[in-house]
Amino acid sequence: MDSTLPSGPAVRIEGLDKRYGSFHALRKVNLSVERGERIVICGPSGSGKSTLIRCINRLEEHEGGRITVLGTELNDDVGNIDGIRREVGMVFQHFNLFPHMTVLENCMIAPMIVRKRPRAEAETTARRFLAKVRIPEQAMKFPGQLSGGQQQRVAIARALCMQPQIMLFDEPTSALDPEMIAEVLDVMVTLAAEGMTMICVTHEMGFARRVADRVIFMDGGEIVEEAPPEEFFTSSRNERTRQFLSQVLGH
Amino acid sequence: MEMVVVAPPAPSRLEDLKRRFFATPLQALLSLISLTIMAFIVWKLLDWAVFSAVFTTTGGPEACQAAAGACWSVIAARWRIILFGLYPFEEQWRSALACVSVVVMTVLSCIPAFWTGRRIALIWGAGTGLYYVLMKGGVLGLPYVGEEAWGGLALTLFIFVTTCLIGFPLAICLALLRRSDLPWISRTTGLIIDGVRSLPLISILFTFAVVLPFALPQWLQGDKLYRVILGSALFFSAYQAEIVRGGMQGVPAGQEEAAMALGMSYWQRIGRIVLPQAMRNALPATINQFVISFKETSLVVIVGFFEILASGNAAYGTGEWRFAYVEVYAFIAFIYFIFVFSLSRYGAYLERRMAVGER
Amino acid sequence: MVSLLRNQKVRNALLQALYVGSLAAMVLACVMIARRNLAEQGITSGFDFLFKSTGWDVNFSLLPATANDPYWWFFLIGIVNTLFLGTTGLILATIVGTIVGLARTSSNELARLLGRTYVDIFRNIPLILQVFFWYALITHLPTPRAAHEAFGMLLTSRGLYVPVPNVAGIAFAAAILGVIAAIALPLWLGRTSHLSQPFGERVGIQLTAAATALATAAIILALGRLPDLPLIDFPALQGLNLKGGMRIPPEFSALAIAIAIYGGSYIAEIVRGGFKAVGKGQMEAALSLGLSPWRVFTLVRLPLALRAMLPILANQYVWLMKATTMGIAVGFTDFFMIVALTINHSGQTLEVIGILMAGFLAINLSLAAVFNRINKAIALKGNQLRG
Ligand SMILES: Nc1ncnc2c1ncn2[C@@H]1O[C@H](COP(=O)(O)OP(=O)(O)O)[C@@H](O)[C@H]1O
Ligand SMILES: [Mg+2]
Repeated sequence: MDSTLPSGPAVRIEGLDKRYGSFHALRKVNLSVERGERIVICGPSGSGKSTLIRCINRLEEHEGGRITVLGTELNDDVGNIDGIRREVGMVFQHFNLFPHMTVLENCMIAPMIVRKRPRAEAETTARRFLAKVRIPEQAMKFPGQLSGGQQQRVAIARALCMQPQIMLFDEPTSALDPEMIAEVLDVMVTLAAEGMTMICVTHEMGFARRVADRVIFMDGGEIVEEAPPEEFFTSSRNERTRQFLSQVLGH
Repeated sequence: MEMVVVAPPAPSRLEDLKRRFFATPLQALLSLISLTIMAFIVWKLLDWAVFSAVFTTTGGPEACQAAAGACWSVIAARWRIILFGLYPFEEQWRSALACVSVVVMTVLSCIPAFWTGRRIALIWGAGTGLYYVLMKGGVLGLPYVGEEAWGGLALTLFIFVTTCLIGFPLAICLALLRRSDLPWISRTTGLIIDGVRSLPLISILFTFAVVLPFALPQWLQGDKLYRVILGSALFFSAYQAEIVRGGMQGVPAGQEEAAMALGMSYWQRIGRIVLPQAMRNALPATINQFVISFKETSLVVIVGFFEILASGNAAYGTGEWRFAYVEVYAFIAFIYFIFVFSLSRYGAYLERRMAVGER
Repeated sequence: MVSLLRNQKVRNALLQALYVGSLAAMVLACVMIARRNLAEQGITSGFDFLFKSTGWDVNFSLLPATANDPYWWFFLIGIVNTLFLGTTGLILATIVGTIVGLARTSSNELARLLGRTYVDIFRNIPLILQVFFWYALITHLPTPRAAHEAFGMLLTSRGLYVPVPNVAGIAFAAAILGVIAAIALPLWLGRTSHLSQPFGERVGIQLTAAATALATAAIILALGRLPDLPLIDFPALQGLNLKGGMRIPPEFSALAIAIAIYGGSYIAEIVRGGFKAVGKGQMEAALSLGLSPWRVFTLVRLPLALRAMLPILANQYVWLMKATTMGIAVGFTDFFMIVALTINHSGQTLEVIGILMAGFLAINLSLAAVFNRINKAIALKGNQLRG
């Protein structure tokens, strides 16, 4: 798969359907994300946000519709799935760092065994990204010895070490204490400024205002509203959106 | 017993004793009863095993039988058959060395520095290989000794080690198959595991030793010893698979998802992420399983192998030492005890260490 | 073709078919080869042999047995023997284990040390070695003529001779049921009756129930008494042989003793674990309510500990049941030994292995069912207690 071809959008989702047994988690979702675009997805708990972004790298299998990532369709072809996962990085709510490896090893393992990079090169890359997320001095520690904010920054660095073209964030700050949220958001802002294609599930509305090109509101497995941040926060048309906004913004 | 009593105004010895053992009438009674039982057993045992015992072979069996206490001369006279079975007399140093190599291998694999899949595999492979070469010979100028002449402790250790060596990888395979997303694979494997677990080990050994030759083509039958080892490994792996699976269930689902999101293949995820963590979770239970299966190797005596128990039976069963069965069994029990007790103490230590040092 | 192999669904289907298919093929091949080999020896497959007479005898049976009896009857004898030995061993092991376990949890250091020594020694010596030891010990006892005597029992190399009452078999069985009822009834009453009842009244009812059951047992025994014989039949030496009493063969007693001692060391650990699992908080709460230590033990500690123990205990019992197969080592005709003998004598290998598996599956499943029922009955209601 030659993913450097710059044709078409980064992610295109058409008529996506997803069920858990009899429960309909996503209903006919359509979404297109351009290269370099920053998308923020919000919505009440259980509305299908995680399910949606987990479909993009096949952590969940979809039943209906089409998902095309970087020009490759996600179907039953095993090769396609592997190729897409290499180009799509993901950051989880609970970090999911590998506790039996040092921070540095966490960042080196995937480039080495998936991309087959030599150890020395993987280490240089890893140290570069650890510096970028501002914790170069923690490289030899184990994840369990770091604070939550530091762990999440390692998780971001780990994903970046694969040098992905798209980054997915699933509520990266929800499990953090308030004073640590800022340090993670700062890293994400820097990343956005460098032109990374980002799809973020988050309730940090300040972040959305600052970096998002588009904000998407989901409810009941559907995209209810989709607008640039200014418009989204000031003049949303939908009743459910307004109600949700008043809850998260605390009015 | 480690007892640290930290009481600022140190009470006198007597007071301390009184407080610890005679605080209430009930306590006093309990203490007295326990003390009496202990004193009685310790005295009887010491008297039998040391004071009235005969240690030398000079008097022969007759003098020994007349003694009131233990007749350790039987061990002095028969220890070679107990430890090495019918292995050729001049070659028994090889058997002894082989036992040492297995013990060294076990001790090495208890050291955390060697706890990576590759190192453990290397140690066990090398240890077992060394054992095999030493015992079987035929190379390096060592005369050939066939498996049918192996016996005693050396055979017991061989069966144990090969059982683990085959059973452990098999257990991991079974655990992975049972955990599979593919329903037919996981259900079939579950059936196999539960089926084996519901049967007694003896019946499996018997089936592999006696019945299997009927059901296998000639070229697949192999030696009875290796068939029995295979059966014992199958039994071990059925239990160990459930332990490994339990360990895997202790690894959060997010770990595998993170590995997937990084593009790792199934085998990379299993080998690099899931198994290392799962094995750490499963370590205490695994050691316990090793302890159990070491004790269970003794069952091969039933399908006719000359392992340590059978060689013990032979050591007193023939001729002039018929009366000295207690001493022989005590000796064998002592050997088992040393192995099993140290292994299970080690397991308990690891468990404690893991409970405290949870990172 | 290549793209088909890269398709996940196709791959999954292929993998599953391959796995199940190759396993099935292996089993099938084994069965076919076995059938051919057996046919060459003139053995036809099928279960007809079950109704042929065996031509050999068993050395221990609770049911009447002769060499003329058919195979199916011998299998039944084997199962009954296994269950009898298993239950005996299991009860003895539980008694030993409870005593040692209580010693290990006692507040007395010496008792703890004693319990710990016991567990450390007997847990770490293989069961079969212990079986061999006891078997050798018993068979090395003096001949009947020089038998040791203790409490009316005779210890000889031919077995243990115990006194039995001279009563009809049915009456004896009924009396045993009565004694069991005398133990079980008070426990059951204690469980169902309400704490609001006065303590004295409760104990009164329990004692009455026990006494009634015991009295019934005694009456049954008296009624079933064989005429013209003394009430209790003591074993005694007559000429060169022993007469009277009941003989417990060395095979059985060696196995029962070994299982009791070895199993006891495991059960002791389970008992200790159960008591350890009862939170200190609950006991302190009970003590602070002003309950006496004894009532804290019977009302709070014991019931909670029992609940914690039961699932592990169930596994241990299943293990003990399977341990009866060691009978073959000393020649006790348990189910497995009958199976082995049948294979030797009849050659109906496949069928008999099938029966063996079915037998142990049935034993395991029924034990599991019993314990599940008990577990459900005593489980704490609700799951909101531990957050
Ligand atoms: N593995 C699963 N099995 C069954 N239901 C699930 C599973 N994962 C998610 N769901 C359901 O799907 C819905 C959407 O979940 P999710 O995408 O996690 O919501 P969000 O991330 O917006 O909070 C929820 O109602 C959830 O209960
Ligand atoms: Mg979510």
